[in-house]
Parts: sequence; C-alpha cells; structure tokens
Amino acid sequence: MKTSKAKLCVCLAAIMVVAAMPSRLSSETSPESPAAGSGSATQWSLQVDRIEPGEIELAHSFQVATYENLLTELNKTHQFMHVFREGDRKASDVPNLLILKTTVLRYARGSETRRAVTTFSGATKLSVRSQLVTREGKVVLDRTVSGNVRFFGSNLRATHNLARNIAKTIKESPSFGSEQPSETVTGQQTAGNSRGGL
Amino acid sequence: MSRLVFQKHKRSYFARKLACSLWLLLLCSSIGAWAQSAAPSARAPFSIRATHLLGFPNTKNNCNGDLTIEDDALRFEQGAKPEAEIKIASVQGVFLGSESKQVGGNLAKVGKAAAPYGGGRVVSLFAHKKYDSLTVEYADDDGGLHGAIFQLSKGKAESVRRELVARGASPGLHEDDSMEASTAEVSHEDK
Repeated sequence: MKTSKAKLCVCLAAIMVVAAMPSRLSSETSPESPAAGSGSATQWSLQVDRIEPGEIELAHSFQVATYENLLTELNKTHQFMHVFREGDRKASDVPNLLILKTTVLRYARGSETRRAVTTFSGATKLSVRSQLVTREGKVVLDRTVSGNVRFFGSNLRATHNLARNIAKTIKESPSFGSEQPSETVTGQQTAGNSRGGL
Repeated sequence: MSRLVFQKHKRSYFARKLACSLWLLLLCSSIGAWAQSAAPSARAPFSIRATHLLGFPNTKNNCNGDLTIEDDALRFEQGAKPEAEIKIASVQGVFLGSESKQVGGNLAKVGKAAAPYGGGRVVSLFAHKKYDSLTVEYADDDGGLHGAIFQLSKGKAESVRRELVARGASPGLHEDDSMEASTAEVSHEDK
C-alpha cells in the first residue's frame, strides 16, 4: 500500500516536471523583448509631439485626448526604451530618438445620440497621418491610420481607438528591432469599430 | 528772552508735528502696499463638481470629484482619496468645448437594448444631456506637455477658465475654436 502511494507521488512529480519543462525551455530560448536593452539592436526612444490639426477644425479636447491616449498606448507596447512627451528636456540627452508626428487628415464629428437612435449613422471618424522621424529629419515610418466609434461610446472614444491603432502600426512595423531604422514604410491602416465606452 | 523761548518752543512743536505726519504717511503707504501684495493670495478658493475624463496626474479616468482652484494650484479631489494638483503657473492653455452625451451609463444601455419594439431608441432620443468640456494643457517639471480633460455641467466651464486666467494661467492661443466647432455640431444634432 505504502509502495503504491510512493509510486503515485513519484509519477505525479515526474508529470509535473515534464509539464513545466517546455514552458521553461521556451522562456529561456525566446528572444528578449526590445525594451530589455540587451543585444546588438539599437534601443530607440520616442518623443510624441502634439497633434497637428492641419486645416481641419478639430476640438482641443480631441487633440489632447489623442495625444494622451497615444502616450498610454505606446508605453503599453514596450517597444521603446522611453516614451517622452513634447518639450521634455530629458529627451535631448537621449542618443537614439525618434519623433512621432501626427497630422489630422480627415475628421467626421459624429453624434452619440444619433448612433444610439439609428445605429447606422452618427459615427465619429478620425483619420491621421503618423510619421516617425529621426532627429536629422529622416522619415522612418509614414502611415495613414484611422480611428472610429460606430456603435457604443462617446465621441472621444474614437481618439482611444486611433491611438491604439497607431501604436499597433508602429509595433508591427518591420523597421524596429533592426540596427538602423533605414526602411521607410508607407501604407494605410484602417481601424475597427468601437464597442466600449469612454 | 521770553520771545526766544517761545520761538524755540514753536519750532519744536512744528518739528514734532512734521515727524508725526511723516510717520502716519509712511504707515498708510506701507499698509496699502501690504494690502496690494496680499490681494492675489487672499482670493477665495473656487470649487466646482466635475468629471475627470483623462490626463490629470494620479487620477483615474472617468471619475467624479471636485475641481478646486486654491492659491496657485488646480486640484482634483475624489472623496477621501488624496487630491491631485498642478501649479496654475504651469498651465499653457485652457480651452472650452461642448458635448452632448447619453445619460444613464451601462445599465441604461442594457435596458435600452432589451426594450422591445425599438423602445430603447425612443428613450435614447430624449436621454441625452449637454455638457461643457474643459481642456487644460500644462507642463510638468521637465517641460513635458500634458493635457487634461474635464466634463462639467453646461455653462460652468467658462467660470473655471475665467478663474484660472485671473490667477495667472495662459488662456492659450486658439481659445474658443473648439467651442465654435462643438456648438456647430450640437446645433446640427438638434435639427
């Protein structure tokens, strides 16, 4: 009886060890995150500039909300060593700095009430041109990104979706992780619909 | 002899009177100067109920509280939680806007969705309220640009901006742009 119990314990321990091994192995062999700061790849820092409304009459609340949401979403990606705000004096001491410039291209101010009543009209749509530029003025990434709110949520929710899409675009860009951001990426990224609420 | 004594007495009397009036003048002017210098700091604190949407330091998004302007600081208090504040001198711009939002929150959304025969849509038609939005741009200690957005009852944001500007905040270069844009949207929505 005693020996069977001991065998059972040994078997269970062996199963647990075998189950734990692959995950441990994978964690050991997986490449380190770019934010870890080791390896030969250059670690870039990012400075987010304020949103340029261009010729579009965009409310200041939208500009500020997009800017703040961008900072939050870009910090979440862990793609950059530091994410600086515009005007931050610490950014001038950083060796590898990219500057994110965002210019508004299109803006359709929707209505939450119309969305709630009709569901097919009243969407708030925001489309911007996002450019990653080096200190020397070289454009590393140039994309058009959109953010919408179609069903639920306030109009400001579109800025959150937009910021999330910009961060996703930057994260998926092939320019990062390489020694030098030499490749210029140009393209268009379209946003999904909002289902949350701000 | 008596004439000489009288003259001496008269002279000392005038000197004393002069010194006394000079002293009074000095006292009055110093009181005036003190009152002038003390005037800005003696302003009564200004407080208003607001909803913090985003951007204020150490404050949760979409939370209700009291927006207070006291001395040289703009504070946001949420009940018993420690208040967050920024210096008014660091404010680079104060912008106003107007928004129309659905009232009732998530519970109302679920209720409206569950209502039969599109009853929820009819409710939505009337269940909206207009708010003012107050956008404050400010710089942190390192010079980094921040922005905070507050939602206030209709017509209250202007008083906050007036109070901030009176206490030394910069009103911003493009003030009232947003107000015009959002007012246009609201009037369009009302049609």
